[in-house]
Amino acid sequence: MAESADHITCQEVVELVTEYFEEVLPADELEVFEQHLNFCEGCDWYVDQMRTTVTAIGRIREEDVPEQTRERLVAAFREWKRS
Amino acid sequence: MIAYKFLRPDGRSLFTGFRWRLPDDEPGEWVSAPVTPCRSGIHACRTSDMPFWLARALYEIELDGEVVEQRTKLVASRARLLRRVEAWDDERRDAYTRMCADRAHELALGASPALEDWDAVVEPSVPEGPALLGFVAARIAEEISGPQAYHAERAGQTRWLVERLGLET
Repeated sequence: MAESADHITCQEVVELVTEYFEEVLPADELEVFEQHLNFCEGCDWYVDQMRTTVTAIGRIREEDVPEQTRERLVAAFREWKRS
Repeated sequence: MIAYKFLRPDGRSLFTGFRWRLPDDEPGEWVSAPVTPCRSGIHACRTSDMPFWLARALYEIELDGEVVEQRTKLVASRARLLRRVEAWDDERRDAYTRMCADRAHELALGASPALEDWDAVVEPSVPEGPALLGFVAARIAEEISGPQAYHAERAGQTRWLVERLGLET
């Protein structure tokens, strides 16, 4: 958390969004996170888009991914791990 | 216990999207949920919590069963909406937004040296509505005088709401 326990910044919303979706934010952090969403239209939209993306990706099965795309993804991950 | 709850215009909760049965001449139906603060349970406001959760529609809500008090909210295991607070209408929402904007200007330009960068964000924020303007005014107060000033500003916003909406404290 940043300089105050009473509120968070837009940057912190971005950093905490995964924990928000996974419902692992401590109660006091969740409270200021949702307060921020209540007044910040941009962050509310961002979280909404992230939720939509996570839901959509969660529906994709391994066999839905074309072989060529899968190979490119695996190669990209290997490269990323090496770097 | 009587408290308050902000909802979307269509009667859905702000974060869960739960659709409440709205009161007409009679209170709405009782709703139950186990209490796990911020995860489960029925969330509501004391008057002092209201500036943090402002939204389009305001209802008086009766809480029953287990009620847990948190920093800026109450969480109950059982509740029903009693009536809509009609005084929280477009005119009052705009008046509250304007009050917060004026206060933000007063604070920013009254500081020494004046917080011109902060002052510049006030008017562009007005179309975003009362929740943002309340936050902006409180943040400017905090920037000048620290966290106590943030809370004092929020307390002033509560007083405005209680007086103008005729709420029970």
